[in-house]
Formats: sequence, structure tokens, C-alpha cells
Amino acid sequence: MFNLEDSIKKWLADFQRQRAFDEGKLQEMEQHLRDHVEDLVQQGASEKEAFEQAVASFGEVPRVAKEEFRTIKRKPSIKTFLFTTMLNNYFKTSLRSMMKTPLSSFINVFGLAVAIGACMVVYAFIDFDLSIDRFHENKDELFLSTHYVNREGVEECYGNAPAPLGAMLKADFSSIKNVARIYDGVAVVKQEENVFHESLRYVDPEFLSMFTFPLKWGVAQSLHGVNNVILSEETAKKYFGEENPVGQQLKIIVSQGIHKVFNVSGVAKTFPKARIIDLSILLHIENLDVLNPTYAANDWAEMLNATFIQVDDPSTLDVIKQKMGRYKQYQNEVESDWPITSFDFVNLADLHLASDEIKNGISYDASDEARIGLPVIALFILALACLNYLNIAIVSAARRLKEIGMRKVIGASKGLIVFQFLSENLFMTALAGGIGFLLAALIFLPWFSTFTDISSDFNLLDPNMWTFLLVILIGTGIVSGMYPAFYIARFQVIKIFRGTVKFGKKNLATKIFLTVQLVLTCVGIGFAVMYAQNSRYQAHRKWGYNEKQLLYAQLQNGEDFDRLSALMAQHTDVLEMAGSKDHLAKKRATKIVRLPDQEFEVAELNVGANYAATTGLEVTEGRFFKENYESDQTSIVVNELFLKNLDLNDPLNQQVKIDSTSYQIVGVVKDFYFRSFYSPRRPTIFTLADASDFEFITLKIKDGSQVDSYHELQAAWSALFPETPFNGGFQRDAATWLRFYQDLGKQQRFTRAIAIIFIILASLGLYGLIQLNITGRLREFSIRKTLGADVKSLTFNVAGQYLLIFSIAILLGIPSAHVLNNAMLDMMFPEPRPFGYSGAIISSIILVFVLAAVIASQVKKVANTNPVEGLKTE
Amino acid sequence: MISKNLTAASTKPIILGILKQGNSYGYLIIKKIKELSGGKMEYSDGMLYPVLHRMEKEGLIQSKWIMDGGTRPRKYYEITALGKEELVAERAQWNQVTELLENLWGVKTSTN
Repeated sequence: MFNLEDSIKKWLADFQRQRAFDEGKLQEMEQHLRDHVEDLVQQGASEKEAFEQAVASFGEVPRVAKEEFRTIKRKPSIKTFLFTTMLNNYFKTSLRSMMKTPLSSFINVFGLAVAIGACMVVYAFIDFDLSIDRFHENKDELFLSTHYVNREGVEECYGNAPAPLGAMLKADFSSIKNVARIYDGVAVVKQEENVFHESLRYVDPEFLSMFTFPLKWGVAQSLHGVNNVILSEETAKKYFGEENPVGQQLKIIVSQGIHKVFNVSGVAKTFPKARIIDLSILLHIENLDVLNPTYAANDWAEMLNATFIQVDDPSTLDVIKQKMGRYKQYQNEVESDWPITSFDFVNLADLHLASDEIKNGISYDASDEARIGLPVIALFILALACLNYLNIAIVSAARRLKEIGMRKVIGASKGLIVFQFLSENLFMTALAGGIGFLLAALIFLPWFSTFTDISSDFNLLDPNMWTFLLVILIGTGIVSGMYPAFYIARFQVIKIFRGTVKFGKKNLATKIFLTVQLVLTCVGIGFAVMYAQNSRYQAHRKWGYNEKQLLYAQLQNGEDFDRLSALMAQHTDVLEMAGSKDHLAKKRATKIVRLPDQEFEVAELNVGANYAATTGLEVTEGRFFKENYESDQTSIVVNELFLKNLDLNDPLNQQVKIDSTSYQIVGVVKDFYFRSFYSPRRPTIFTLADASDFEFITLKIKDGSQVDSYHELQAAWSALFPETPFNGGFQRDAATWLRFYQDLGKQQRFTRAIAIIFIILASLGLYGLIQLNITGRLREFSIRKTLGADVKSLTFNVAGQYLLIFSIAILLGIPSAHVLNNAMLDMMFPEPRPFGYSGAIISSIILVFVLAAVIASQVKKVANTNPVEGLKTE
Repeated sequence: MISKNLTAASTKPIILGILKQGNSYGYLIIKKIKELSGGKMEYSDGMLYPVLHRMEKEGLIQSKWIMDGGTRPRKYYEITALGKEELVAERAQWNQVTELLENLWGVKTSTN
């Protein structure tokens, strides 16, 4: 019996087989056929006749399908077809071989991911560092005026500027569009109950049009008013909270009797993180007349912190420089000790990087070591990861010999095999890149930002960063894959299938790669260990005086000292007290000492007679000053470095001249560190200060009661000077030292992390390598076991082949680490830790331990396997 | 009988012409062509569909499924603005061809 539905279904199945039509189109055909059949049936045909006629007039299915194909498909070229199939195949094989040895794949991918993540962090850091102070729109037109001074035969660049220079430049050169002089001062700032010490930046009002510091509230023009101040957002918050403070008043108190009330006329927006030059309180430079009566705007000996100029065309600077000769004369007439040899200009965009060479500059560069060190570390990790990969790739190729042979037999050329392995490698590195990106974004960057806050400015979508990442990925993929790919492609098919390919163990290149890998590991670990040793050493060095028992406070004038010391003398915990004009870690002056035949630049500390007894500076020869001893007005005490530099054998009673006054050396003190261990010791003289000049009080406290005495000192201060905030504390916490120790702590944390990364990478690499090696020799070991080999002999057998390489690695790696570490430390510390062997020994022990642990874990596995199983494996 | 080549060449303007008069679906379109040509154009019905699909892809027509009086869903085709432009162009070309042929055949053969 004819069944219409069945027939239609069959007919449609015909269409489906052609695969040219999707569901919708099939339905369209079906409806067509049904319509036609219906019509024919109505005309009187039987269902069977109608169906047959409809199908006949519809035409042959393959022809329709062929026609339809022309519509839906682009003409597929044989080439693209083959290529996609090939890549698909490669993708599958690489995925399969990865899954077959998940551990070594993990080691490869993880190692590369860590390395790539590290590279990204370094990129972010360098990017941050290079963008410091470059957000100013006019940065290419802004220049800091600098000058060179000949000091003891050395030309040195200074970033400060004589006070009259700015105005003269503006008046003399029409090509200079704007000039901003900058004078930095400190003061107590009072607003109702809020009283704090603040730093003030006195500037020309053009400052705000030259530099890009957009305002959150108020207008920049208001700085033209001498009674106005502009605050940073942070300062504004401190005094006024979140409210708009424009129109409010602040009282600036420089010292007793010198103060002025200002209107807040603007608040700057939050500054970009990548900045050094900024402001906390900005006021018109003319206020110096009121707030700093000794400031002499027309005196060439008066120095400003900086003078910036703005020019349309930087090429005019050469002309300007040439014509600045006469300024030199003005300056040198008043400052004959340090004559200026020439003037120069430094572009704002380059200032941060150049500032290591500029003394007394407005900018600084604290990251020059990091700029060199971090990329080196990142490259090291990258190289280590690549070598890990290289070695594992070569060894694991042994398992794929038959695949390679097969491919060659069915016609793969050498080039195609190379291409296969390279693309496989690129696939791996791409995977590692993805993981590395996540590692960097989620772990490394946030962690690194605890040292330097680079992440808040960093944009993860920065196209440059992605280009960089891509270059790193492709570079790594090709570099690490090149050798294994060529190595594998070289095998002869016949030898592969006959099973006579000599592999891995005997290969010289493999040995070299392994050695280089281990050398790098040694260098890395050795460097980290030695660096950490230096950090420890620096952290425990003596300052050269008894800083632990000292408290200090900054005074407003000499009378304060009398009142405060009288009050503090009542406390039994206070052992000694001294007043001084200068103070260790806080303030010192520079003087030129003249002997009949030579001149020296020295540091000067102007102190009270009891200063050495209080601070614990150790007098090694002669004596320190005596109270009320008239002749001590012309006496000096010097440090040992002073003697060494001046080559004085019998220092006592030696006469030297300072500023045309003769002084006699009456004593010698031991060397001490003034600022921190970052700064070298300087030849220093102590001079006796007049009690009325005292700016500091120093107290020696009984050990153990420092904290109590600190509170007593604060209490005494607020009882005596309720209007002025207390400015002092533990000598141990003096800002420069505090920063030094914080810095050291960061470095310790950082090197520890780097060392751990190195150790992990090294262990992973070794583990993968030895594991592959042992699995490859499983039959051999099984036979050995059956013949009676015990764990000991197995261990020696495995360890033996690495022993030589390991010794070479240690012998080469550790000394290189020492050299590298010394180069690094010499950049950072004037007196790094003296040489010692312990670093070399510690790092060698770590390495041997890693090797031993890896071998032990593997040998244990072999020892525990039944030799029968081992012999059965292919 | 109209030759295969000519049939193929004229399918597009014919379909566009039919759809210009109103939306329609495959079966009706083919029926209409057969009616209009008086059976002189020989088609296998199936070959219409690839043409329709290609024209849809080129944007000359567009389709949607419509439930038609509750009977069966039908895929209706509708001419687009682009299709209308194409029809005008096709028409001009066909007219030119006809004109040419008429001129050619209307002129008497020269005596010498």
C-alpha cells in the first residue's frame, strides 16, 4: 500500500543526505511538495500518482543540492582546507601529548606563566617609572634651570637657582614665555582646632598655568592674589574634611611673631600617582617678604629650590645659554667659594631620569637600581623557564618518536615537522601567556604594589602592554621551541622504527642546556641569598652613636630649650640633655675647610657642649667642647674620616681656616652615619653653638623607659607651647632612617619572593627532567632490581649522571652570582656587606638539597614498583 | 519551448516581477511562472529554491514564515527596496535586448 507520509519522509531523507539544506529549507521543500500533491489530488489524481508527478517535476535532488551549495558556500580552496585540517590535527596531537604527561606539561606551562607574569609586572613598573612627571601638557616646553659648579675639581650639576635668576631671564629673553620660581618652606598651619606642620611651596602664579594641576574647586588665577593659598586635595581634607573649603581661612605660622592669615582659593584634584613634583600648600612667592624676612630676592647668594621656564621653541635655549654669561659674574661675585662654570636647562620630561646627576634638585630618582635590576630578574626567570621547557621538550620527544616517524613516512617534510612542533609550542606559550596574565593581574601586580603603588595607574588593557606581551609570547615560543623542533625533525625514519635512535642522554646539546639551566638557577639562588645576607647585615649595623636611647624635639628658638630642659630635668629617666643648632639625621651645614696647602668640603654640625655625652658619640682623642669655655668658640672637633681625608697625623692643636676664621682641632670622634646607610660617611666638623641658636633638644633616656619619657616630653611640650604642634620623637624613627629600614624590609620581602620563585622553578624543572629520565629507563631499572640492585645503588645510578653537571653549575653559578650581587650592591650601598663564603655555602646547600629531594622522591617510586610491572611497560 | 539558458537568465527578473505584485511563497511562484509562460518555460520545480535563496542572500528579497489560515506554515518572500532597484535595471536591459532584436529583424535585408 502506498503511504504518502512515509514517501515524503523518504524523499526528505534524500535531501538531508545532501547536507546542503538546513531545517528551515527542508521544511520549505516539504511544504512545496505537499502543496503540489494536494493540488494534483484535487484535480483527481490518486495520492500515489500525485506524489510521483510532484517529485518528478521537482527535479533531481542532487542537482538542486549542487545548485544550493553554490549559494551557501564560498569556494573552498584546497590549500585552506588542508591547512585547517593540519592545524586541527596538530592542535589535537599537542593537546593529547600534553594530557599524556600532565606533570611535565604543568611544569612547562606554569614556569612560563610565572615568567610571563613577571615580565608583565616589570613592564608595568618601567611604564610607571618612565611616566613620572610626564602628565603635564606642556612638558616639552618646560625646563628646569640648572648650573654647574666646580667643586674640588669635579663639575657638579645643581638644580637650585639664585633668587634673581628667574626675573632676569624673563626680562632679558622674549622667547621665554613664562617663569616659575619655587621656594620650599615649612610652617605650622592652624585652622581652628587643626594645627599641623606643613610644607609650603612659594611660587610665581604662572606655576599653575605651566604645570598641569587641574583644580577641583576654585580657579588657578586666584593664586595671583597674595592672600590666597591653593591646597592639595589631601591637605584640604585634613583641615576641612570633604567640604569645599574655598573662602575659608588658614593661619600660617612660620615662627613666633611671623604669621599671616590666608584665604583658601582653590583645591587641586587628586594628583596622578606617577609624580614627584606636586604641592601641598601653594602660595604666591611674594609672601616670602612677610614670612621669611631674611629672604633677599635680589641677592645672588640667595638660593631658590627651583626655577622653571617655559619656551615655545626649545631650540632657542642654546642662544639663551650663551647669553647667560653675565649672570655667572653676578653669582660668582657673591659666592666665590663655589663659582658657577655654566648654566644649563633640563627638560621636565627627562628630569626624573636625570635627577640622580642633579644635586639639590626638585625631583629625585629612587628607582635607578630597580630599572636595571627588575628587567634582569624577569629575563632570568624567563630564560630559566625556557630552559626548563627546552630540556623537558627534548626528553619527552622520545615518547613521540613513532608519531614523528609516522608523519615522515606519510610524507611530512622536515619543515613540516618543525612547523608542527613550533606551532605546538606557540600553543603552549599562548596558554602560559593566558595564565601568566591572570597571575600578573590577580597576584603579582597587587603584591608588587605593596612596594610601589603602580597598579592604580596601570591599565590592563593598555595596547602597548599587549604588544609587549605578544612579542614576549611569540619570542618565547620560537626561542624555546626552535631547538627541540629541529632536533626532532632531524631523526631518520628508518632508525626510529628500528629503535636505534640515540637519545637524550648522550646528546651534547642537551647536556649544555641542562648545565646552563642549572647555572642560571645557581646564579638566581646565589644572588638572592647574598642579597638577603647584605640586607640582614645592613639592618643590624651600628649607627656610630647611641641612637636607641635618644629622644629629640625640634625647637622654635633657644629660649624654648631652657624652658623645656628645665621641665625635663625633673624626670629621673632623663640621663643627659643637649641643645644644638644642627642635629644628627636631621640637619647639617656644608663648609669649606682651608689648610695652608689644600681645601676641603666638609659637613658641619653646630652643637651644644653636652652633645657628644648625650648622643654617645665616642671621643677617641682629645676632648669634646666644654660648657662656658671661651676658647672653644674657635675650637672644632672632627671625625675620623676627616683626619683620614686630610691625612693628618697629629690632629690635635692643628689649625684650620673656615670662612677666614682660624679654628683649632681639640678632639676626634669616631665615624658615624648621619642620614642612613645609603649615604656615605662624610668628613665632618663639630662647632660649638650659641645657646640662643638652638633648634633641637636631644635627650638621653634610661634604657627601657624611652616610651614613657617620650610621652613625658610630649606632655611637657604641650604644657609649654600649646599653640605649636610637637615635632620630634625617637631618634631611631628619624625620617631618613625610618625610610631606610622600611626600604630594607621591602627589599628583604622582595628578594625572599624572588628566591622562592627561583627555587620552585629549579625544583620543578629538575623534577620533570629526572622523572622523564627515570620513566625512560624503567626497564633498565627493573632489570637492575631483579639482578639485586638496592635503593642505594639505584640512587647513585640516577644521581651519578647529574653530579658533574651539578658541580659545574655551582662552580660557575655561585661566583657569577657574587659578581652580579656586588655590582648591584655597589650601586645601592656605599658600604655593602664585606665578602664572606657563607652565602656561597648556603646557596650550594639549597641547590644540593633540591636535587637530593627530587632524586629521592623519584628513586623511591622506582624502588616501590614491582620490577615485573616495569618490564611489562612499553 | 524556451531554451534552458534563456530560462535561467530570465528567472531573476521574473521572480522579482512576480513578487512586486505581492508576497508569495515558492510553490505559488512556480505555479504562476508556469501559468504566465503557458507551459513554454520548462522548469524543474526544485531549481527555483536555490535561486530564491541566493537572491535572499544578495538582499533582493527577504523571507518570513507565516501561518496561513491555520493550515500549514509557509515561507513567504517579499521584494526589498534593493530588489525593486534591481528589477528596474533588469527591465531596462531586457528592453534594450528586445529593442535591438526588433530593430534587427524589422529591417529588411539589403538587396546587395
